[in-house]
Amino acid sequence: MNQDNKNSTLSADEIALYDRQIRLWGMAAQARMRHAKVLLINLGSIGTEITKNIVLSGIGSLTILDDHEVEENNLGTQFFLDSESVGKLRLDVTQARIKDLNPRVKLEFDTANFKNKDEKYFKQFDLVIGTELTTNEIFYINSITRNFNIPLYVCGSNGLFAYIFVDLIKFESVDEKLKGTRPTEVGKSSNNKEIVDVVMYTDEDDDKKIYEKIKTVHNYKMFRDVLATATLKGKLNRRQLKRISSAVPLTFAALNIAKDTCEISLSQLQETLEKATDQLGVPIENVNKDYIQQFSNQLGVEFAPVAAVIGGAVSQDLINILGKRTSPINNFIIFDGTTLDMPIFEF
Amino acid sequence: MGRHANVIKIVGEENFQKIRTSKILLIGAGGIGSELLKDLILISFGEIHLVDLDTIDLSNLNRQFLFRHNDIKKAKSDTAIKAVSHFSDSKLVSFFGNIMNTEQFPIHWFSNYDIIFNALDNLPARRYVNKISQFLGMPLMESGTSGFDGYIQPIIPSLTECFDCTKKETPKTFPVCTIRSTPNQPIHCIVWAKNFLFNQLFTNQQTENSDNEKSDGSEKDWGTTDEKEIERIKQETSELVDLQNIVIENNPNKIINILEKLFINDIEKLLLIENLWTNTNLNNKKPTPISRKIINQMTTKKDEQDPPIFKQLDKTWSIDEQILKFIKITQTLMNRLQTEKSIEFDKDDNDTLEFVVTAANIRSYIFGIQMKSIFDSKQLAGNIIPAIATTNAIIAGLSSLSSLRVLNLLKYAELKDGKFTDLNMAFTSKASNFSQDRYLTNPKLATPSCKCSVCSMVVRGILKVSTEKLKTLKLIDLITLLSKTYGYTLSISVIDTKDQRLLADFDFDDLYEKSLHDLQISDGSILFISDEEDENDMVRKSMELYIDVDKDSTATNLIELPKIDVPLITVVTEASKEDITKPEITKLTTSGDEAIVILDDTEEPHHVDNKRPISESDDKNDSVHKKVKKVADDDDDVIELD
Ligand SMILES: [Zn+2]
Repeated sequence: MNQDNKNSTLSADEIALYDRQIRLWGMAAQARMRHAKVLLINLGSIGTEITKNIVLSGIGSLTILDDHEVEENNLGTQFFLDSESVGKLRLDVTQARIKDLNPRVKLEFDTANFKNKDEKYFKQFDLVIGTELTTNEIFYINSITRNFNIPLYVCGSNGLFAYIFVDLIKFESVDEKLKGTRPTEVGKSSNNKEIVDVVMYTDEDDDKKIYEKIKTVHNYKMFRDVLATATLKGKLNRRQLKRISSAVPLTFAALNIAKDTCEISLSQLQETLEKATDQLGVPIENVNKDYIQQFSNQLGVEFAPVAAVIGGAVSQDLINILGKRTSPINNFIIFDGTTLDMPIFEF
Repeated sequence: MGRHANVIKIVGEENFQKIRTSKILLIGAGGIGSELLKDLILISFGEIHLVDLDTIDLSNLNRQFLFRHNDIKKAKSDTAIKAVSHFSDSKLVSFFGNIMNTEQFPIHWFSNYDIIFNALDNLPARRYVNKISQFLGMPLMESGTSGFDGYIQPIIPSLTECFDCTKKETPKTFPVCTIRSTPNQPIHCIVWAKNFLFNQLFTNQQTENSDNEKSDGSEKDWGTTDEKEIERIKQETSELVDLQNIVIENNPNKIINILEKLFINDIEKLLLIENLWTNTNLNNKKPTPISRKIINQMTTKKDEQDPPIFKQLDKTWSIDEQILKFIKITQTLMNRLQTEKSIEFDKDDNDTLEFVVTAANIRSYIFGIQMKSIFDSKQLAGNIIPAIATTNAIIAGLSSLSSLRVLNLLKYAELKDGKFTDLNMAFTSKASNFSQDRYLTNPKLATPSCKCSVCSMVVRGILKVSTEKLKTLKLIDLITLLSKTYGYTLSISVIDTKDQRLLADFDFDDLYEKSLHDLQISDGSILFISDEEDENDMVRKSMELYIDVDKDSTATNLIELPKIDVPLITVVTEASKEDITKPEITKLTTSGDEAIVILDDTEEPHHVDNKRPISESDDKNDSVHKKVKKVADDDDDVIELD
């Protein structure tokens, strides 16, 4: 990332506009955001939410790659569209409204399909976000981001259910927290995380408050490996396994079938579900029958409130890693929109 | 695949028709409100009505995505409605006004809706709407954000916890003596500069003539019992009047007198109060007055051009620079006062902000406290709650999703037998640093707290009455009616909750013959009725009666009591009864109590003077909900200092 950019002080206007968020993540993080170049693949319902969030917050530059035409049902999930948009290219009809959100952000709109881009094209970006991708497409973009050492976020939704996958390859974060009764220890703290340094300091306004500055190294896995090896065996006890949302094995089942398409039959889903529960270590009898029916009906269906939650979470994490504020998501989220269950799995 | 194809796949055709005929009330068009409006439209609710009392400010634009630069100063509700028209297939209506104004929003107006969404930024309004929802039995989707923290809580009256079932953090307060005499944190100096100094000098305050005595003749509370200190505070106050006169005179050559008084003379006097500095328990740090030399030096520079550092709002300036800026800005404000007559502190009015910050910093320097940049101080002085787009988007998404289950519109997640405690609330977990393995925490809704004075300890109802009847109905008539209808005794006490005014009780019948109108009971008034226990230690449950005046009624004698049952309940102990059933009754006279400074003043302008919010009765509710960390707020109007 372009963190060594010399021109990193913010103007008085920028400070006034971004006042409320600078108070949260500081001037340095805001300045770093201004130099970040982000690629978003596909402007569907989640893509729309992400675009809104990161353009408002003052990202340096955003490129959107999307070759889709607007279908009538998109009008019910994407707020940059209007009834005149149907049949036209999404990017053609949304450009003006996106630009209007924040004139300070450098925007590029490209109506090419991302698979037709030369691999080197992706080198220019500090971060890539893929939305509404098939499993094969995720494999493809993930291999490119690994080649060029670019952080990747992938997310998608199936009606009331959604997932986020994160691959930051290797990432160092600094978390600050009030010191507990026991000091935080250096060493491997979980599957993918290792604490490498802990520094204590005292609050400048209140010397009774002692904080710890914890430096953590996060290791990530490629999507292909997560899909092939993800398991909850040994991580959850029986009660926790019982409480786990049926959306978890169903999401994995769907990702395993949907190599190139979103069209999946109920019987296909049921078949793969067995494999998925096996691998995850979730007893198949724990999977709610109604959920299977529901999930199957809602495969690939966009829903605005779900997009708002997922788009918000991805944008927030992206802002976090640019500001190096706190530990990022590591590495898989599955959201259940009926119970609002949203666990983070370290696969 | 029509525009509603996705929603129909999720809720089913039948429920979709219910969505199309639902009428939503959305209160607040700020950070969460903008997001909610978008989500509710895309769910395709039939009608959405939006209420907000605010206008758009530059600092809203980083998250309130419906507003643009050229919308600044326009009304939020109306602008928001216009901004969403291109993707809306719902009927949208905007209202500009305070939701607590009973004239604009009487209770029968609320009853037109199917569900209420709160997207509010302050505690009094949240509590008010919560009570309205309890009166009407209407579901309420409560939500809030503060920085990375956010929560949603569906409230189904009488079935799940209400907003007031859990204790909410109240604004932080400071003892007056800390502010006036012994500050030890930057915030103490800012409060001094803003609440005492600025108001005294520039805000059109009538000089307090009876400063030493309360209206009831008792001695004023000075926040200390140390006589020397009281003496000093009295003298200091009278000297402040002298300073006011300098400001009104608009004589720039006398600004030096202001500096000398505030930062030399007052400090020297403070040092003479030995108790403050010798008592080791207090551990107060002795102040050092500013040197006359610096003051004189800076005074000579006052007409020179600004040094470049005055443009760097995120840097902490030196003490010399603070003093120079103080002189210059005082002059600017004095000039403005000639035409404006009175200037209110406003965090977005740079002159007032710079005055408060430099005065606070000079005082900090004197007391050995770290000085702060304009940027950092603005947060403290302006009660700013940091706010970002992402948290608002997540919370609004959750709130609108959850409302579908509250309205029982998800065909695969139907509520069995109206068991609303199967629904979940949610609050941010990862972003709030509570957990690394949950993005949200989503406990099931709890049943109402049996100790809650808002939802459990009282029954609620609406008393419908014509304008004419209000004038003829005597208090004793009402008492007799209540006794006949609900089984109360005739010695019930009646309290007007607007100001906790006692209208009647077992040994107070002076007002019996007055009409409700004469007692200043009007549309939106809420009466609190409670009874004495009987010989079997039983008592009829207390009641809150909302007075709904039907102005258009043709029946001049209209009076309609709510059709509710008021049960007899067992009195547990005298103490607990005192604790929970009776709101605190105060005398009518407003006291000049100055013992604490409540940093909550920016909320006040939102109230309509003669229409104060429903009383907050008691808050001695000890079932603290640790999970809802604090009442989070999106906008800028409540202080919450951690
Ligand atoms: Zn309650």
